[in-house]
Amino acid sequence: METTGAQTLVETLARNGVTSIFGYPGASTLPIHDALSKSGIRHYLMRHEQAAAHAADGYARATGRIGVCLATSGPGATNLVTGIATAYMDSTPLLALTGQVRTKLLGSDAFQETDIIGITMPITKHSYLINDAAQIEATIEEAISIAESGRPGPVLVDLPFDVMAAKDVPQMKASTKRKEPSTNGWRKKDNGDHLKRIAQFLNTAEKPVIIVGGGVKLAHACTELSDLIKRAKIPFVSTMMGIGSVASPNGLNLGFIGTHGNELANHTIHRSDFILAIGVRFSDRSTAVVEEFAPFATIAQIDIDPTSISKNIDTDLAVIDDIRKALTELSPLMQETNRDEWLTRIQKKKDTLFRKDSSAGCGPAGDLIRQVQEALHGDATAVTDVGLNQIWTLRNWQARQPRTLLTPGGLGTMGFSVPAAFGAAVGTPDRSVVVFSGDGGLLMNIQELASVFHHNVPLKIVVFNNGNLGMIRQIQDLFYGSRFSDSNLGSHIDLVAIARGFGIEAERVLAEKPEAGIEKMRKSTGPFLLEAVVDSNNYVFPIVPPGRSNVEMIHEKMG
Amino acid sequence: MIEKRHLLSLYVYNKPGVLSRISGVFGRLGCNIKSLCVAETTDPNVSRITLISLSDSRFTEKIMKNLDKLVDVIEVQDIDPSHSVERETMLVRIAVTEDNRADVMRAVDMFGCLIVSMSDTSCILQINGSKDTIETVLSYLSPLGIEDLARTGVIALRQETQDKMC
Repeated sequence: METTGAQTLVETLARNGVTSIFGYPGASTLPIHDALSKSGIRHYLMRHEQAAAHAADGYARATGRIGVCLATSGPGATNLVTGIATAYMDSTPLLALTGQVRTKLLGSDAFQETDIIGITMPITKHSYLINDAAQIEATIEEAISIAESGRPGPVLVDLPFDVMAAKDVPQMKASTKRKEPSTNGWRKKDNGDHLKRIAQFLNTAEKPVIIVGGGVKLAHACTELSDLIKRAKIPFVSTMMGIGSVASPNGLNLGFIGTHGNELANHTIHRSDFILAIGVRFSDRSTAVVEEFAPFATIAQIDIDPTSISKNIDTDLAVIDDIRKALTELSPLMQETNRDEWLTRIQKKKDTLFRKDSSAGCGPAGDLIRQVQEALHGDATAVTDVGLNQIWTLRNWQARQPRTLLTPGGLGTMGFSVPAAFGAAVGTPDRSVVVFSGDGGLLMNIQELASVFHHNVPLKIVVFNNGNLGMIRQIQDLFYGSRFSDSNLGSHIDLVAIARGFGIEAERVLAEKPEAGIEKMRKSTGPFLLEAVVDSNNYVFPIVPPGRSNVEMIHEKMG
Repeated sequence: MIEKRHLLSLYVYNKPGVLSRISGVFGRLGCNIKSLCVAETTDPNVSRITLISLSDSRFTEKIMKNLDKLVDVIEVQDIDPSHSVERETMLVRIAVTEDNRADVMRAVDMFGCLIVSMSDTSCILQINGSKDTIETVLSYLSPLGIEDLARTGVIALRQETQDKMC
């Protein structure tokens, strides 16, 4: 019985719960693909390694389990970089496996050789080069553990060809005892005391608000947070990455904050006197001008990562701990408090804003998104691309459960939507998955329509075609004197013909009159592309102009 | 912002690439490493890195947290110079001529330098001591004609026994 290094790799992955891998083969990874073909793990052949990384990312975002992608050495590995960086920015647990040249050729500029570990150092949590086949099992288990633990993130494992082809290698358990991450005082011993003070603030503050960040779902703490919010009746906002963690159709949900968020959310934060930020990293998109963010509030933070505390804003009170654990300890400290006055004030503001603009500022595109959700009976997962399509979706799609609205917030990677949705669909086969993208983003990974057809993944792809790089066009229209340089993509491209060319059913509609197309999409059993032609002046409002604070949103093009 | 000199000591796993990741943290934060010294501890799997960087105190906390986050970093210490001992070693090669021979010997006597190598035309001196000692000796020797020099960079130990390993 000849067990190769590659077989050991595959067996270790399977033993650790991996059932799907997204990848693209090459010379260096032939032994791995051979081993995969004889295993229970299903390998999904994509059409570009970047898409393989996005698919693994989408899989992880939708399921909460680690996503695995596989690429060959050289250009295969470098093509993963954007996907790995996307996962890094949003703290997705990802395992990136890359082929590598034989160990004795390392550093010789061999065919398809790159120092992928060097290239990805700033965008991985950790990385390994396995140059001894006996270390495969221990390394893979350690890699998975690092990717999933604490603040999750991508881990890369570089696999030289000869190590994968090596035969009959006995596996050794890691001999070096890995120490627990140093506490160094960052993981404060006075967490319990700080939690009590947070409870005190929440119980007595006049205008408290909770900010729900991406960390809550990463910590699998959505239920705990929902319970706490319901018990304590505290109004909450989300960051872009926190949307959907606490079910959206909930009276206390004020929307999401930031430069492209909801005005009500931004105003409520501005007026609050106490903020509890859970799993929030206070990115510049959420805070806008930091000096003017929540100027009257005491700010408390719960996060597992010490580097997120007092990084971009001054944190007054910090609990550095697993969010689920912290919330479980916090919940019993909450008291019945009368919040009527605060909630009434918020409702008043909400009514004024609603009177100003009832379509969430997204025009016909926003209406279309709501119609699509209704047609799919609200049980679908939505995946956005980047730009106008992203903001339209975040403002109009109702995320009823955690992990059902996926968006590449941190890196803002165009071309994310189709491959990530592919991964999400593979990971959650019982749910419909719908993509909302622009024409620009769709073109960036258009080749993945081949993967969608090949694996018969029933994605519903809604493309808003305005013939432009919409968000850039809006910025140029508003702030660069309407000088549209390099943002016109051309309106001549027949996306329906392209989709059909890939074997995918498709239909074109005007965004103002989408009913017939949506109905066709709803009835389709396989993948479907709905091209919605959108006016190039369909922008998104209100937005925070560059350099202004969250409460200086503009509702239209000025003068 | 007033920049201060910070002395950091790290215990790290003795693996390839660790130094790369650590200098990456400094590079990414735009912070310069002024000196760096690394060697194994009594545990061959663990190395100790002593380094000096210039930054304001808020920045240093940020750097320490980011270093602590690295998987292969076991512990990060900010060493207070007033409660620790710092030492450095320097090797200096000086051209020895009839004119400067006497001055060179005087330096050896005054500062307790060791002559570790001697030839007809030059000698190599070894100087151990605090940073101040090293710099004083350097400024004395410079006019005598330094051909080449190498410094180890500072190593330091806290005076109280807080070290978890040695």
